[in-house]
Amino acid sequence: MNGWLEPKYVGWLAHGFEMTLLLSACVIVSATLLGVALAMARNARNGFVTRIAALYVLVFRNSPLLVQLLFWYFGAATLLPQSWMEWLNTPHTLSLSTFTLAWPPFEFVAGWIGLTCYATTFVGEEFRAGMRGVKDGQYLAAAALGLAPFGTFRYVILPQAIRIATPPLAGQYMNIVKNSSLTMAIGLAELSYTSRQVDTETFKTFQAFGAATVLYIATIAAIEVGLILWKRRSAHAWQRGNA
Amino acid sequence: MSAIDWLPTLRYLLLGTFPNGPLGGAALTLVMSIVSTLLSALIGLAGGVALSMTRGAAHLVLTAVVGFFRAIPVLMLIFWTFFLMPMLLHIDVPGLATVVCALALIGGAYLSHSVQAGIAAVRAGQEQAALSLGLTRWQALRYVLLPQAVRIMTPSFVNQWVSLIKDTSLAYIVGVPEFTFLANQVNNRLMVYPVQIFLFVGLVYLLLCSVLQFFATRLLGGAQRRNKPDAQPHITRFSHVQSADS
Amino acid sequence: MKIRFAGAVIMGLMLAVSSAAHADRLDDIKKAGVLRVATFDSNPPFGFVDPKNNQIVGLDVDYARAVADKLGVKLEIQPTNPANRIAFLKSGKVDLVFANFTITDERKKEVDFSTPYFASGTQFIAKKGVLKTPQQLNSLRVGADKGTTNEQQVRAQFPGATIVAYDDTPFAFAALRTGNVQAITQDGPKLVALLANVPDKANYEISPFTISNDYEGVGVPKGETRLLNVVDDTLKGLEANGTAGKIYDQWFGPSSRAPLPRLFKIGDPQKS
Repeated sequence: MNGWLEPKYVGWLAHGFEMTLLLSACVIVSATLLGVALAMARNARNGFVTRIAALYVLVFRNSPLLVQLLFWYFGAATLLPQSWMEWLNTPHTLSLSTFTLAWPPFEFVAGWIGLTCYATTFVGEEFRAGMRGVKDGQYLAAAALGLAPFGTFRYVILPQAIRIATPPLAGQYMNIVKNSSLTMAIGLAELSYTSRQVDTETFKTFQAFGAATVLYIATIAAIEVGLILWKRRSAHAWQRGNA
Repeated sequence: MSAIDWLPTLRYLLLGTFPNGPLGGAALTLVMSIVSTLLSALIGLAGGVALSMTRGAAHLVLTAVVGFFRAIPVLMLIFWTFFLMPMLLHIDVPGLATVVCALALIGGAYLSHSVQAGIAAVRAGQEQAALSLGLTRWQALRYVLLPQAVRIMTPSFVNQWVSLIKDTSLAYIVGVPEFTFLANQVNNRLMVYPVQIFLFVGLVYLLLCSVLQFFATRLLGGAQRRNKPDAQPHITRFSHVQSADS
Repeated sequence: MKIRFAGAVIMGLMLAVSSAAHADRLDDIKKAGVLRVATFDSNPPFGFVDPKNNQIVGLDVDYARAVADKLGVKLEIQPTNPANRIAFLKSGKVDLVFANFTITDERKKEVDFSTPYFASGTQFIAKKGVLKTPQQLNSLRVGADKGTTNEQQVRAQFPGATIVAYDDTPFAFAALRTGNVQAITQDGPKLVALLANVPDKANYEISPFTISNDYEGVGVPKGETRLLNVVDDTLKGLEANGTAGKIYDQWFGPSSRAPLPRLFKIGDPQKS
């Protein structure tokens, strides 16, 4: 082994890790919101809506994420009109009072969209399983209290469904972090991409990939720890009668 | 591209340069996923049994190893097995074998977890009953616990198989000529049909996975339904909410 | 338990086998009867897939075949992109790399190079009228290939440029076409050939400047001197009996799709 990496390359790896975290966080937020919507769509009363939702799940779950990302980046980009593409590719900034938001590069946007579409199917299925896990008696009890269907859903079913779904949901969030590594194929400079760059320039394969692996595992472990803490906290809440 | 032109391209995408060269394309994808599935099933069974039967330090180490393989992204593991395994072991490992190895290890880790869960699900009463009949722990495992556990976990195995078919597309990154790789080659040559090509690729994978899932569920679904307890009576006002076993 | 024990046994066996099996690469090639070479599969005319028979053909492939013929073995081609070349060579999956492999001092520490057989400079393609002077690069998004010297040179000389690296040149060009990047960089001859094969070539142009002078050679595993000598002898012999010129004419000659005058012959002195 020929020594540790120079600071310049450690900096590259750090930037890549930042990008991975940022992308994962964005995808987690969007996939969760859309996943709830998808789960509701699959349980909807309207037959057409359920069929569309089922088709969505079928298409996006049974094709590889890599192919989906390549489609969004290379394929979909050719379908958009030229002026849209130019707007998407020029840097824009939005100045808020305390900080400026910069429009991310197109790779990030394409990666975000691709990952969200893919992850939404799995997150939606977890929410659906969570909703199924709520006993039928709850619906009756809510009706007996005079709640309308939407109120039932919002105050009685959804909180319990989320609680049931949270452990497998954490597993899906971990999958999102791992799947972010595939965006290297569309040029997004996240952790796997930068570790490969460092490897091709310094030839220190073991150090470059080793550092990247440790960072990924640390992130996954952090989510796992978060889950354990949440479990403990919610167990206490049950005991105190605050659930 | 005229109709006559795309037929040899289609054949190339589905079979690679076979028989004038190694097998490639969709055929290679299928072969890789079958081999990885079988290997990961073996590793998963062995790992799950090991996780259930060990205690103390050995159990902790095993849990850590399984946890490692479940936490690492598939792409990173493919890099490791592809770039470093041959350098460390000084033998020439063909690219195909390294990818199959990586996929089998990760699949095996997930399946170990499932097998352990399956054994734990049937364990309590069944193990004690078996032991009280005079079977040893290993005999109880082999004749009583495992058959029931495997039956519970077959959906897990099927899901893993579908996952593996999709993960074979990652072999593209390391130059194995499977379906995604050849599709990219063709796209690079033609340059102006990315939408059509990637839609076609997605469709083929969709077909492969859906057909597999459909047949596997049909084959195993009968057994599953027979084993489940009776469902709760439907409540008419909320009948649009599907009950647990639909 | 079972896995750990079996794993330990397998590792032990492999280590035992590996220490015994480290012979000379040239002997291994002759014994196996096969020369494994990594070439491009999406970079005409150096290495690309011929749509008629779906085999990989090109300038690099012809040179590789000459080496295989000299050794009296079969040629087996492993398609690669710029990012995977060195990995294939170092992990022993191929014996030689014939993939427009630029000679640099850092790379010399990891692999051996043959005498150069091609010369080129780093150039750029952009939409017509966009890129006229090198200084403009500092404000543009530039597409490059992962693992190439072009990428490193642009990063070193134009720190203001945003570099987006793709797995291979056609991807970078697709990004150029959709507007994700404003220019792409590669060796001049590759860009000439790329443009010649593109359906909408009228919209693009190669910018009239280069930013480097590079030489490409064959990648040989480090320390395999006998193999290196065979490759060098083959290349020099090809130049001496005119075959090198003929191969060049087939892919870059006046009647080819991307004519380019031949400025460098094998064995010419290198300007640094």
